[in-house]
Amino acid sequence: MKVSNDPEAVLVTYSLGSCIGIAVYDPEVRVAGILHFMLPDSSLDPAKAGKKPFMFADTGIPPLFKEAYQLGAKKQRMRIVVAGGAQVLDQQGFFNIGKRNHMAVRKIFWKNKAMVSYEDVGGNVNRTVKLAVKDGSCLLKVSGKGEFLV
Amino acid sequence: MKKDIGDILARIDTLNPVPQVANKVMAVSKDPQSSMGMLSEIIQYDQALTANLLKAANSAYFGLSKKVDSLHQAIVYLGMDKVVDLVLLGASSENFGQAQEGYDLDSGELWRYSVSSALIARDLAEKKHLDDTHAVFTAALVKDIGKVVLSQYVAESFDKINFLVSKHGFSFREAEKGVLGIDHAELGGMIAQRWKFSEKMVDIIQHHHLPMEARFETEAAIVYLADTLCMTMGIGVGSDGLAYRFQKEVLNRLGFTDRDFQEVIAGFGEQIAHVEDLIGAS
Repeated sequence: MKVSNDPEAVLVTYSLGSCIGIAVYDPEVRVAGILHFMLPDSSLDPAKAGKKPFMFADTGIPPLFKEAYQLGAKKQRMRIVVAGGAQVLDQQGFFNIGKRNHMAVRKIFWKNKAMVSYEDVGGNVNRTVKLAVKDGSCLLKVSGKGEFLV
Repeated sequence: MKKDIGDILARIDTLNPVPQVANKVMAVSKDPQSSMGMLSEIIQYDQALTANLLKAANSAYFGLSKKVDSLHQAIVYLGMDKVVDLVLLGASSENFGQAQEGYDLDSGELWRYSVSSALIARDLAEKKHLDDTHAVFTAALVKDIGKVVLSQYVAESFDKINFLVSKHGFSFREAEKGVLGIDHAELGGMIAQRWKFSEKMVDIIQHHHLPMEARFETEAAIVYLADTLCMTMGIGVGSDGLAYRFQKEVLNRLGFTDRDFQEVIAGFGEQIAHVEDLIGAS
């Protein structure tokens, strides 16, 4: 997880697979943040979540927002991009971490009234997200489709 | 029109023929009487291999409090099994460092994928109490050697392959086979044969996406599972995405539950910085 208001910085989360990347940006104060989490629920292993909270949705998402607020960001102004959560072919609900990661984000966002501006989730593709702090431009790279602004 | 497979097979000889050491080390490791002396005999003339071994042994992955500067010390502190793995790691690294254009993998990414698969496969093999963890470790490490040869052909025919995947429900491997006449796993098996790897290794590499068809089914299933876990974590995933088939029956066969699956991911995620250090050192 990384939050920044350094206009020179570009925040990147590479190769998400079934993991999910959340990119947030407040254009008024030019604060950007990015989180890459791997699993939906920290109850799997609270000790590991204590050491590496950003590995899980429920322990990773709140600090992303809190740190952005500390730099002056406001939820109402934030642009939120969600990407990743892919799955292997024929998973049909078994071991489907990608889908469960996405469900975890939706649940947390719904509870906290956070609105997603753009979402590219699921399927069998791999994704990388880049977020420029100076203007909030967000580049999404999707395997087989190339890179494009979202 | 399918490519001339002969053209693809001819390129096998462009790979670095390093694995003779790997074969010898694996043979020694299977011998209950194997000793440090025998291992030392094999690698003593290969200074680069010894230097790499010591660098990897001193990486943060192992968290040793003392610096290791001889093969003897490495065996004392890490144990013979881990040292054998490190020798196999060093012997295999040369072919995997380059960028693979066809698979859209930057330099180092295929190696990161290989090492991660191997570490996960070894842990799974230990949990399943397999006798020959080194074969599983090495097979997982080199399973994608076929990609190194196939990459340029995948690049040339990427649109056709991607069309079959995105529009016709093919897996990426099936699309490789459909367009190029051979897929990276099948080609990997042939390379392993050319390198005179054991029958077991050839079988695992060839069937790492189809473990139920393997003769050494449990070993192939473990390598398959390690591969699936890496893809889930986005490790080594390129233009092929996650377009490989999930086979629930393989996991049932291994008695591997959903919770086990997540625990491996959490365990790997927790030590990712140390794994990166080992990858950088190997």
